[in-house]
Amino acid sequence: MVSNYLKSVLVVFPFIISLTFFFGHSIASEIGVSEDTIKIGQWSPQTGPAALWGSVARGTDCYFKMLNAEGGVQGRKLKQYIRDDAYQPPRTVGAVKELVGRVGVFGFVGGVGTATGMAVKRYLHTRKIPWVGPASGSSRWANPPTRYLFALYPNYVDEAHILTSYAYMTLGKKKIAFFYQNDDYGKEGLMGAIETLKRYGTKLVGEVSVEPLDTDISSQILKLKMSKPDVVILWLLPKHAAMTMGAAAKMSFKPLWMTTSTLSDAPLMYRITKGLWDGVMFDSFAELPDSKTPQMIKYKKAHDEHAPRERWGMFFYAGFLFAEPMIEAMKRAGRDLTRESFVDAMETIKNWNGGIGHSITFGPNQRQGQRSTFLGKCEKGVAVRLSDWLEVKK
Amino acid sequence: MLIQLSQVIASGLAMGSCYALIALAMVIIYKTSEVLNFAQGEMAMVSTFIAYTLLATYDIPFIIAFPLTLLFSLILGMIIEFLFLRPAKDPTLLGLIVITLGVEMILYGVAGWKWGAETKSFPSPILDTKVYNIKGVVVSQLNIWVFVVCIGLMLLLFLFFRFSKLGVAMKATAQNHMAARLMGIRAKRILSFTWGLSALIGAVAGVLIAPITLLDPNMMVDPLLKAFASAVLGGMTSMPGAAVGGGILGVVENLFGWYVSTEFKSVVAFVIIVVVLCVRPSGLLARHYVKKV
Repeated sequence: MVSNYLKSVLVVFPFIISLTFFFGHSIASEIGVSEDTIKIGQWSPQTGPAALWGSVARGTDCYFKMLNAEGGVQGRKLKQYIRDDAYQPPRTVGAVKELVGRVGVFGFVGGVGTATGMAVKRYLHTRKIPWVGPASGSSRWANPPTRYLFALYPNYVDEAHILTSYAYMTLGKKKIAFFYQNDDYGKEGLMGAIETLKRYGTKLVGEVSVEPLDTDISSQILKLKMSKPDVVILWLLPKHAAMTMGAAAKMSFKPLWMTTSTLSDAPLMYRITKGLWDGVMFDSFAELPDSKTPQMIKYKKAHDEHAPRERWGMFFYAGFLFAEPMIEAMKRAGRDLTRESFVDAMETIKNWNGGIGHSITFGPNQRQGQRSTFLGKCEKGVAVRLSDWLEVKK
Repeated sequence: MLIQLSQVIASGLAMGSCYALIALAMVIIYKTSEVLNFAQGEMAMVSTFIAYTLLATYDIPFIIAFPLTLLFSLILGMIIEFLFLRPAKDPTLLGLIVITLGVEMILYGVAGWKWGAETKSFPSPILDTKVYNIKGVVVSQLNIWVFVVCIGLMLLLFLFFRFSKLGVAMKATAQNHMAARLMGIRAKRILSFTWGLSALIGAVAGVLIAPITLLDPNMMVDPLLKAFASAVLGGMTSMPGAAVGGGILGVVENLFGWYVSTEFKSVVAFVIIVVVLCVRPSGLLARHYVKKV
């Protein structure tokens, strides 16, 4: 009995092994790339405190569906694997290991969160897996540059620089206060603002922080009010920003509010603040929702077709934006796509304006793809563009 | 300087009243079953979402939607007791507390699935932006309402437990379950009702807090922790204790934020828990209850 079993195993096993070798070799020369598909992974908070930003991954999904309907990339269809990490770094690690080990993805795109991304940055780098467009403006993605990680989102330091100099130089507001979330996200913004003002030989009139989970911000608002600023720059979660508007209106504190691209979804903010968001200035790294550039019109059509139930908002089409250079590089790498040839192709992208971002440039030691944003303003619930693309002057 | 100090205290009292309301809800369950209910926050959150659906989706006026919400929360509380706590075989206290944690996760998941994670503004007729300026100190209409409702509910509950038959039966069940049953009290029903009542108070708190914190599945995470701290501070078995504890916590937190640092403002609540548990484990206003054998 046993020997029979053993015999059959001995016969069948080498056969299977040789079979997989035979086919394995003819089908793909790179993990995650086969004759007709490319597997791409993405982690995303579909539940939990940051679930609002989960639409980024669904945006990328819509983008891939659009591309597949057009025939895919170099004859291959894109297959996206979304994993929910609930904005918790340990779950991100689990999801990424599963996608790398079990699914065998070619690379990753997007990925919401600074802490979540930091938890897998090393892992992806040591395994030489490409990762394009983390959905966070941390300066640590591209600084120092690493071979397989390409950042698109203008980092928070640059953003703060653009906002602060716009307030100080263009608008002539000399008294600027800063209200930030007490973590990497908020502190990078704060650092950018302080550095910029130092260059003009001045400093912030007030710096106030809030913890991510706080629900009572009245003493913070009182502190801001006492510093008597002309402008207050907000680096907060959408919820805190909305609460700030309420608390400030209550104390009849009416400075000019400015805020980062993370809060640039003007229609949403206008709705949840019941109109108090009116007049708030923000910067944005992607075209506005009702922009009429050909690319935006095309994407809006894809949205209507493939994901009509999603709100056509900033976070949703940011999912397109983070994946655009990846697709461009895949096209440039040609039919013979490997991770190495992909990275080399990414590095040939220079001043690229084929998407909804602006002037994307990568290079051998350049991993921050986009460095420019423009200013916008919320007018009666509609995002209105105020300036042309502004670049960081260093 | 005096005006700012008064403003800080007023803001603290306003937020403290919110904590106090949730603390009251916790205390009711703790009084009758010695169970710490960690699902309290999510029960309130789900009730608030129900109110939101009635108001925003079905356009029902607040005056009708609010009682409907209360009715829903009463039933929700009773169902949770019936479905999750009652079936527990020979439950230990710790076991029951873990069950409430499970309920918390279920409700959180359901809310995320049903209403989504996008923050919503709660259409309340009581406005946080309509303000009264009392000699330089700004207080909103909502702040006043929360304060008044908190004091009112505390008094009502106090009278209920002291003088009504049902209230006394609840207290009796808490002190000696077996003896209460022998005296003809339907102890199981009493427990169900306790959960219902507690969920109802939680719903009141949720509806009052929602205009300030905005509505999403996470709205109760921080208030629940603060309410827990308030209840510990005031004494887990004392209604006035919960109210006073909430008030003190709100004010201390704001004073700390104003004079010392906003970074550690929230930590104050936990320092208070630790200090109270070390110095006066039964809380400020509760007598230490020793079971006599």
